Amino acid sequence: MKTQMAAVRPLVAVERSVRIAVAGNPNSGKSTLINSLAGSRLHVGNWPGVTVEKKEAAFERRGERIALVDLPGTYSLSPYTEEEVIARDYLVQERPDVIINVVDVTNLERNLYLTVQLLELEIPIVVALNIFDEAEKKGYRIDVPAMEQALGVRIVPTVATKGTGLDALLEAATEAAGNPSRHRPRRLHYGGDIEAAAEALMAEVLRRSPGLAEKYPERWMAFKLLEGDRCVIEAAGLPGIETMTARAAGHLHSAHDGDIESLMADARYARAAGLAREILTKPDIRKIELTEKIDRIALNRFLGIPLFLAAMWLVFKLTFDVSAPFADWLDAVTAGPFTRWTRVLVGLVRGPDWLISLVTDGVIAGVGSVLVFVPVIFAMMFFITFLEGSGYMARAAFVMDRAMHSMGLHGKSFIPMLLGFGCNVPAIYATRTLENPRDKALTALLIPLMSCGARLPVYVLFVGAFFSAHSGTVLWSLYVMGIVLAVLMGILFKRTLFRGESPMFIMELPPYRMPSGRSLMIHTWEKGKHFLLKAGTYILAVSVLVWFLLNLPWGVEHKKDSYMGTVGQAVAPVFKPLGFGTWEAASSLIAGVIAKEIVVGTMGEIYVPEKKETPAGPAPSLSADLREVGTSFVEAGQKAFTNVFSTAGIASISEKGESPPERESLRAVMAKTYTPLSAYAFMTFVLLYMPCIVAAAAFKHEFGTWKWFGVAFVYQTILAWGMAFIIYQGGKFFGIGG
Amino acid sequence: MNLAILKPGEKGRIVRIGAIGPLKRRLMDMGVLVGEEVTVEKIAPLGDPIELTIKGYHLSLRKREAEGIAVEVCR
Repeated sequence: MKTQMAAVRPLVAVERSVRIAVAGNPNSGKSTLINSLAGSRLHVGNWPGVTVEKKEAAFERRGERIALVDLPGTYSLSPYTEEEVIARDYLVQERPDVIINVVDVTNLERNLYLTVQLLELEIPIVVALNIFDEAEKKGYRIDVPAMEQALGVRIVPTVATKGTGLDALLEAATEAAGNPSRHRPRRLHYGGDIEAAAEALMAEVLRRSPGLAEKYPERWMAFKLLEGDRCVIEAAGLPGIETMTARAAGHLHSAHDGDIESLMADARYARAAGLAREILTKPDIRKIELTEKIDRIALNRFLGIPLFLAAMWLVFKLTFDVSAPFADWLDAVTAGPFTRWTRVLVGLVRGPDWLISLVTDGVIAGVGSVLVFVPVIFAMMFFITFLEGSGYMARAAFVMDRAMHSMGLHGKSFIPMLLGFGCNVPAIYATRTLENPRDKALTALLIPLMSCGARLPVYVLFVGAFFSAHSGTVLWSLYVMGIVLAVLMGILFKRTLFRGESPMFIMELPPYRMPSGRSLMIHTWEKGKHFLLKAGTYILAVSVLVWFLLNLPWGVEHKKDSYMGTVGQAVAPVFKPLGFGTWEAASSLIAGVIAKEIVVGTMGEIYVPEKKETPAGPAPSLSADLREVGTSFVEAGQKAFTNVFSTAGIASISEKGESPPERESLRAVMAKTYTPLSAYAFMTFVLLYMPCIVAAAAFKHEFGTWKWFGVAFVYQTILAWGMAFIIYQGGKFFGIGG
Repeated sequence: MNLAILKPGEKGRIVRIGAIGPLKRRLMDMGVLVGEEVTVEKIAPLGDPIELTIKGYHLSLRKREAEGIAVEVCR
């Protein structure tokens, strides 16, 4: 918000803002630090073309404009992971005025490895020695002046979670940006051989193409060329560069088996290790840390998996049970008072009936269907951020990786898949915990096979009508079918669409830490907001479209004559071999793309048209409505609380499994129009056919492209039709349930 | 002897990294370097991956990746 305000305000002078890039290892507390620095001014988006999160903030500090960019957390600046490429492209191409390098003091050597590489870029740097309090508690002694001396940059101890040192950090950063010549970082010497080769190469390259000096820091470029860095070689675009490099590195090649990349990594680590030794004194006796104590239990051979499953059950329960009452509340408010008063307003301007219907049944119902997802997305984002920030996410991946790897997935895929049983939408968003784009896409593709809560009412209707004697078994069989198909599809995708080496699993197990409340809130809020704005638009559009289909031509007496009915009649023959080739079934399935539970509602409307009930008595007054909205919100809060403690099961989902009495008449009609076999085929189809549009919007939003939704749409449509076909025709052949 | 066959609690010194390309670079970036001392801390409940300490922090690798890292056992 404030960034926009600052932009509107007349500028005091045509002042350039100080551009600060924040770089650091994952788990260095960088995220917390930037949240504390920027606060509510933080803007969260994506780096162009990729799914990596980009955080930015612009604000004013003591008359100076500051533009802060958070680079993805990386261990290095090598050219292999998406995050590393983004970070270094930004640093090299955009050349920020100053880099704030967040360093976790409790893990100094590995963090300094990145610092050493940042120094090569010859951009002014300020180092934030973060998590300083924990280091002090451990009895570490850090010689800050010696470190400043050795690196030639300003060092500021910080505790991001408490906000300590952040003001001094910004002060040092702006100072360094204003005085780049005085804050040029020191060149760390990598040993005679490497330096000589780099110098020779640099001279030769610049002689041939002097322009490259503008494009890259010279020494950095020389190192990258020696390392054989593909990106830099291509970008330099110098013919014969490989021979030049080979000549300059001739001596190095023969002395080190030609592996200069390893040689460079060794040299950099040697500097990092040397620095760490110089400036850090650890106490002689090492205490057994809390993290190790927790992990003895959390990763224990026998307890590891039960504890993990218990933790997951808790997350699942909290996510869905806490959010459900608020979703119901939003649903009731939009469908009740909000619709009522909009109707009055449109009536006041003498709007025709069709306009009232479009606004209330189309637009407001559409907005409502977006809103009901907001609580669950908030809740999910909160718990996912908590799991990640606390360090448990890495343990979950460690415990589950073996099982998930067998179907081509990553240990971290488990949690999004599990959330899928509640609702596919937050589950697709939760795939952002996976760093590798391949793992992420594959996980998201399999999530729709997890039978979500919205499919349950459909099962309940049919199970109640046909399988009441074996209701539990039939229900279970559907869930199990989804899981088995997910495993099979995972293996199939691994061999086809995602062929090739599965990504490596090299993962840090960070110390357990309490995530800061501020970080939790910012992440939760940003995700919810984005969902509303971005995904909301698509969902609204489709809702309005479906309204048109159901209600046009205006004034249709019978649903069969509406456009939806017409489309249903046209599509029905496709479902004939599956046992439900009627326009009623086809239309219900089409309407179900908004949300699968709508299948039941539409069937109700089509099979048993209800008489429009006229509300008894006068409509409640505006003040009565407002009071009702308030009290029902409080009730929702209480419900959320009792949901959590009332039962060990998932209260919000078991409720959905109950069938309201008014469904009795629908059930009776079903029993006449379907056979048990075609009913089972229909349920299979509902389980498997295309994800609802909210999930589609989540796919688009999370991946920035429709591609993966397209893949999901195609394979699921084929799978749904194929499975229903096999079940129906197979059943008929063997004479079961027909 | 490779890293994947060390038992929990055993310590080794890395003598060679068999991996090539991105995997090797990634390992090196994480501090898995020749000459480095590494301790196997735990094996995951399902038998894979494994947890190590190296350069004073905890790292986990799949056994397949650990197999390519040759070590000599330290006492």
